[in-house]
Amino acid sequence: MTESGTDQTAPGAGPGLVVALRLARRDLRGGIRGFRVMIACLALGVAAIAGIGSFNAAIQEGLHRDAQALLGGDLDLRLTHRPASPEQVAWLRARGRVSTAVRMRTMARPERPGPGTRAGGDRTLVELKSVDGNYPLYGEVRTEPAEPLAQLLAKGTGGAYGAVVEQGLLDRIGLKPGDLIRFGTATLRIAAVLLREPDLASGRFKLGPRVIISDAALGATGLVRPGSLIRYHTRIAYPPGSDGGDLEDALAEAFPDAGWQVRDIESATPRLRRHIERAALFFTLVGLAALLVGGIGVAGAVTGYLAGKRETIATLKCLGATGGFIFTLFALEVGAIALAGIALGLAVGAGLTALAAPEISAVLPVIPRATIYPAPLLIAAGYGAAVAVLFSLWPLARAREVTAAELFRGIVARGRFRPPAGVLAGLAGALAAIAVLALATAVRPDFALWFLLGGAIAFPLYYLLGGVVARLAGGAARRLAAGARRYPRLALALANIHRPGAPTRAIILAFGVGLTVFVALVQVEGNLRRQIAERIPANAPAFFFIDIQPDQVAGFEDAIKGVPDVGDLSRMPSMRGRIVKVAGEPVTNVNVGRGARWAVRGDRGLTYARTPPEGTEIVSGQWWPADYAGPPLVSLDVRIARGLGMAIGDSVTLNVLGREITGRLANTRRITWSTIGLNFVIIFSPGALEDAPQTFIATVSAPPRAEPAIVRAVTDRFDNITAISVREALATVVEALDNIAAAARATAALALIAGVLVLAGAVAAGLKERTRDAVILKVTGARRRDLAIAYIIEYGLAGLAAGLTAAAVGSIAGYLILTRIMDANWVFLPGPALVTLLVAVTGVIALGFAGTWRALAQKPAPVLRRL
Amino acid sequence: MIDISDVRLQLQSRAGAVDILRGIDLTVADGESVAVLGPSGSGKSTLLMVIAGLERPTSGRVEVAGTDIGGLDEDRLALFRRNRVGIVFQSFHLVTAMTALENVAVPLELGGDPAPFDKARDILGRVGLADRLEHYPAELSGGEQQRVAIARAFAPGPDLILADEPTGNLDQATGAQVIETLFSMQAETGATLLLITHDRDLAGRCGRVLSMADGRIEAAQPAAAG
Repeated sequence: MTESGTDQTAPGAGPGLVVALRLARRDLRGGIRGFRVMIACLALGVAAIAGIGSFNAAIQEGLHRDAQALLGGDLDLRLTHRPASPEQVAWLRARGRVSTAVRMRTMARPERPGPGTRAGGDRTLVELKSVDGNYPLYGEVRTEPAEPLAQLLAKGTGGAYGAVVEQGLLDRIGLKPGDLIRFGTATLRIAAVLLREPDLASGRFKLGPRVIISDAALGATGLVRPGSLIRYHTRIAYPPGSDGGDLEDALAEAFPDAGWQVRDIESATPRLRRHIERAALFFTLVGLAALLVGGIGVAGAVTGYLAGKRETIATLKCLGATGGFIFTLFALEVGAIALAGIALGLAVGAGLTALAAPEISAVLPVIPRATIYPAPLLIAAGYGAAVAVLFSLWPLARAREVTAAELFRGIVARGRFRPPAGVLAGLAGALAAIAVLALATAVRPDFALWFLLGGAIAFPLYYLLGGVVARLAGGAARRLAAGARRYPRLALALANIHRPGAPTRAIILAFGVGLTVFVALVQVEGNLRRQIAERIPANAPAFFFIDIQPDQVAGFEDAIKGVPDVGDLSRMPSMRGRIVKVAGEPVTNVNVGRGARWAVRGDRGLTYARTPPEGTEIVSGQWWPADYAGPPLVSLDVRIARGLGMAIGDSVTLNVLGREITGRLANTRRITWSTIGLNFVIIFSPGALEDAPQTFIATVSAPPRAEPAIVRAVTDRFDNITAISVREALATVVEALDNIAAAARATAALALIAGVLVLAGAVAAGLKERTRDAVILKVTGARRRDLAIAYIIEYGLAGLAAGLTAAAVGSIAGYLILTRIMDANWVFLPGPALVTLLVAVTGVIALGFAGTWRALAQKPAPVLRRL
Repeated sequence: MIDISDVRLQLQSRAGAVDILRGIDLTVADGESVAVLGPSGSGKSTLLMVIAGLERPTSGRVEVAGTDIGGLDEDRLALFRRNRVGIVFQSFHLVTAMTALENVAVPLELGGDPAPFDKARDILGRVGLADRLEHYPAELSGGEQQRVAIARAFAPGPDLILADEPTGNLDQATGAQVIETLFSMQAETGATLLLITHDRDLAGRCGRVLSMADGRIEAAQPAAAG
């Protein structure tokens, strides 16, 4: 009997957490069959986020670890056109080990064309680097055969210097190690294949295979000429145990006008870091989309599981369990399952990173450090937990409303559910946690904010769409019933769509969101490809020729004009200069806008011209007369002028090879780089720069068939002139885009896979009911074919609704990404939209039908016996 | 133990309001055993639900074990049942994922009993299931399952046992064994028993028999036995 004298019905007299834990453990012993989809959904999304985060961390760690090797030293001083002076080098040598390297683009050709080389195609652009005996100060050069670099680059028995080249060069011009190769006027011997060079942080966008030669060999090539586009790197390695102290300040003090671009290990790889962080953010957000889509599967699994537990809940309530205890009990069970899903996701994410890191390192300048990174795993676990709470709290809260009276009446109350304040607070907390995680961990919070806004629109939109489709199906079914003609299969399909507990809403929501992500990506990718592949080549030149010496101009033009089918030839002088003052103020004191900072960082290309470059759009001011002969005037790219805070008439001073030239801003221009014409950010009026050391840069239009002849005509005559094929450069860009697009599509596919899991879960949850209906319909005369057609109509309509909306919403998202974030043009691409629609309809039909097939295959008798 | 007066219950259906209980007055003394007889739809199961606090009457007063349960919210009603009422269902309603021992221990655990499994083991022994402790419901016969349910209802030592057609799902012989168990446990603990049945013989074993029809208690009959 109970104790007397105490209020045994007082709230708070409930059993503790320990009892709930005990009962939860017992309950889960029965198996987690109903939770498979939940585990898969959570694991998929968490694995994606954990994997991307771990991989990003591994690369960042690799960049940090190899920072000195990537930079080539503790400090890298870069000059264009001229090397550091002997005085500067001596100053540095007094403070550590010093190494110099020279980088340029030039043409390579075999001494004798190889057997597999097509005529004229045997000359190719290479990224040439010459190094001294101290190179590399950090890291190692890996070659095949693996011999000391100095030995490989030294003069061999035949008297030729050695060259270490990438395999790509050998493939392109049909050579092998041991063969002879020409750079400029020198013939070198291919000594080894270059597998990996350490100082990749100083590399530009790679347009050709890499080649390493010695300083002495470079001298023999005759490629070092005044005004040639050559970068001179002077690197210093601090003595062991020293961090350099105030060396950078001392350097600036000793050589204030050196004009070099100084980079230390902190600033060694900022662009690479930024690119990788941004890519990681993008992939993380797509992974989060997959996780959120999977959340629908979580909600479905929890709802289904708790529906199967109604009798247990009612029994426990009869035995004296409070609603709060029921909530705690099942929250513990769902929490345990969620933890299992999250843990599986973390293991897969971290494991895949460790496995994939060595593979992917081949395409990166850094070897990722494969280990366990707790921070990205914690972030992924945080997302997983927040999504699990967000999507399971509502069904859990409903479970506590199950009444004990259900055991007697067998009826299920389907009243309007009003969640308690605590549940609403929990839902808000989970949403806030996702938003805070996304914003706090994003390198670009504005991207994350756009993503969150997109999600905040897409999820309710597809949820409502599911309701609208169900309602429309209900209305259509009623009209069908009232009509004279009978369409039994259609009527059955419509009934299946709008009946209570139909999977339509889950299918439309999960597939719709997943497809939207996919359509947006495909539209963005398609538009970028279109701009590269269709728009640009129409008016783009075939070649850029650089490093044309003034005394070679006439001969160069003769050589070009001698080739049949050659089109337009444009030419401009080219030199390098550094902006040192704006309106009389040293540029270091000017608050330069973010978009213009790159222009004041070291040397920039500049020219002088009488007339504006073709297609120039003047934004402000006026172009000078063609016969202008007054004080120097300057024309600037409008974004640079704005970034520097300049108005028409303001002065700007440039240091061109040690000489300062001041001009007044005459006009600003909007440059459309995508036309790939000759253009410069900085253009001076005639008269100011004619006497400065300079080279010429030229563009030549020609059909592809004329390209080999053009290269040969120029390089046969001029060893030092470098031809950059626009077609090959674009192919390199397209190749990079291909890699990015493949990774993006693979990540976006995760959102679709999550959608498939949700669909499978939703269809499986209703299978029992569907089987019973199918059997009853068979008993009343329906054939299997009738039922199958009804299912096809049902799933087809759901797929059509999801696909149509995804095509529209995804295209809008693609438009916003392209025009607002990427600053690119957009056109609607019907192809991807149509493909999406087809994928949606056929995918939903196929998957839905596969899940429902068993209902059709059931023999009536056994099912009827169980009814 | 039970004191209810003028209890009415009206439910809404599509066809309109339906009167399920039409003014029930009932008093049951401590330790008494009362059977409620009646055809299907007479309201007897609803009466049991009202007494157990599972259904709220539209009007009237319900006092059980000295507590006016009309004023209790859902959670207080659950706590009230935990401490005062044991229920035996026609369909047993054992938790399928738990063994017989665990099923019986549940109400003790919910009530914070310091030795739930010892007590559960003891009471299962008393209903003749000492060798079935670790069996799951699916591994037990119907009669065994109902004996587990009886053990579970008596385990926390309630003042009142409510039994809803406890032999309804059992064959006659098994039903008889189960009823033996139920009455012997009642006699042993001194709990009050309210038994819903349509079996006149079974009802006859109670101290008092009430007949219900159309939502009203029509007649009280003296006990034949017990």
